[in-house]
Amino acid sequence: MSEDTGAAIPQRPSELTSLLRLSGQALRRAFASNLTTWIGTAFFGTIVLLALLAPLIVPFDPIEQDIVSRLQPPDMEHWLGTDYYGRDTLSRLLVGARYSLVIGLTSIVLAVVIGTLIGLFAGYFGGRLDIVVMQAMDVVLAFPALILGLILVAMLGATVTNIVIAIAFTAIPPFARIARAPVIALREREFVQAERALGFSDMRIMFRHVLPNILPDILVMASLWMATAVRTEASLAFIGLGIAPPTPTWGGMVREGFENILDSYSLALFPSLAVLVLVLSLNLIGDGLRDAIDPKLKVEA
Amino acid sequence: MAGFVFRRLGFAVVTLFAVLTLVFFVVRILPGDPAMVILGDQASAATIAALRTRLGLDLPVTTQYARFILGALGGDWGTSMVTRRPVMQEVLNVLPHTLELTAVALVLGIAIGVPAGVWAAVNRNRIPDYVTRIVSLVGLSAPAFVSGIVLLLVFAIALSWFPVISGGQATTFTGRLRELALPATNLALIMAAYVTRVTRSAMLEVLSQDYVRTARAKGVPARVVVWRHALRNCLIPVVTVIGLYLGILIGNSVLTEIVFNRPGLGKLIVGALAQRDYTMLQGMMVIYTLIVVLVNLATDLVYGLVDPRVQFK
Repeated sequence: MSEDTGAAIPQRPSELTSLLRLSGQALRRAFASNLTTWIGTAFFGTIVLLALLAPLIVPFDPIEQDIVSRLQPPDMEHWLGTDYYGRDTLSRLLVGARYSLVIGLTSIVLAVVIGTLIGLFAGYFGGRLDIVVMQAMDVVLAFPALILGLILVAMLGATVTNIVIAIAFTAIPPFARIARAPVIALREREFVQAERALGFSDMRIMFRHVLPNILPDILVMASLWMATAVRTEASLAFIGLGIAPPTPTWGGMVREGFENILDSYSLALFPSLAVLVLVLSLNLIGDGLRDAIDPKLKVEA
Repeated sequence: MAGFVFRRLGFAVVTLFAVLTLVFFVVRILPGDPAMVILGDQASAATIAALRTRLGLDLPVTTQYARFILGALGGDWGTSMVTRRPVMQEVLNVLPHTLELTAVALVLGIAIGVPAGVWAAVNRNRIPDYVTRIVSLVGLSAPAFVSGIVLLLVFAIALSWFPVISGGQATTFTGRLRELALPATNLALIMAAYVTRVTRSAMLEVLSQDYVRTARAKGVPARVVVWRHALRNCLIPVVTVIGLYLGILIGNSVLTEIVFNRPGLGKLIVGALAQRDYTMLQGMMVIYTLIVVLVNLATDLVYGLVDPRVQFK
């Protein structure tokens, strides 16, 4: 990356391709060496596919009530049974997957962007800004994430946007920290010093030369934190701060099933397992990617 | 050492102050006028105004803030807007239940997690390692309400070994133990998953060090090498993770208390949110912050105990 500092025009493509090659290698390593990455990807892919196809493949309307056939055990018509209002559990699970995925993904994208920017700026400029910002991050980090999310959602109101904002807020500090540490190390490296001597602007150095170096670490963190985001969303919905009914969310379905747990165990169990499988698949992927990227583990293996 | 403790205390006070300020303003942004919430939609404007005066809601924000900070420091956290009892008293009423639950879970989690992590590391890339890794990954993926519901379904409903509602009413020691068993197991298993993973990776690193090889070469029994020489040196990351895990433990205790219908801070905060009990929420935030700050302080001090190399500066 240091040889292209002098050239003026063709920098961006060469950096990008080398970065892509690097991530490609890491990905290949992750899949070649690690069965768990495969299993995680298979489960995650299946859930994403089912969620995408949900409107086409749901056997019943997930919202319309059918009181006559309520609380039915799993059978040939309703594969996973029906809930207290006679709604088909399978259909609700399929549609609910869309909300879990969308909220998990957008909140983490938001947290990654904001957190990385904060860490990048704090680490690059250092000094008092760095101290104040990172101290604030530590305070947020020290506070229990679920309690913080709980209060934010209660404060803002339980809509998809607000839930995304609340979850993203709790996930910003770890990304700020992971972005900051390597920036401090990179700041003193020769290629950055050289660029500064050449009169490149701080913005250009940060975004075109420092950012690509820390991107792989951030992506690993992102997959692990998306698991946390999905779990937090489900937890909030279970407590009663999810998207308002009748919209099906997995956490909300567990909550409703839990209220009738003595009549029917399956109502709480199926959405619970769905949350578990989705979170587990994301953790499996993140674990595999980390093993592939972390040079220390590579030497060990 | 004294200087270090002093500086950490200073940081703790600053953190506490920052969170108190944040809490004060956050709670005031919550939609809904508390006086109206308490009295209902039917109340007349005069009644609402009278209640606002009594609660101090009509005072300037700066006065309310000064009152809040001074009160919080002096142990006066105001009166619950719903139950009309002092917030401090309400919190102290349920705090023992939550502390009991989390303390037992913490001890159990370490007691399960550390040996499991060592076992996995010693048997690296063999069946015990794979089993431990898969089980711990499942444990750290499961939301606390999911594992709680599974435990409840199996051990309380299907097998009837434990009460379905752990209400905290039991007076006898065995009765309390029976009520505590499932919720504490639930929290402990999730905690154990985190501890297992960090112990395993720390142990793997220590086991590859030269001094471990030297100890082995001079004929120290394998058990002594692992449990005396190596384990001691992988305690730092374990302590760090336990400190970091506290936030997750508190969140999980809220979910666990709901699943097992157990009194505690979790049920108190969910109730306060539903009823827009501002003063109660403020008090809860203060107590959570206190717990977090104190545990972080304790974690820093424990570093010095487990690793004499740590310089307190």
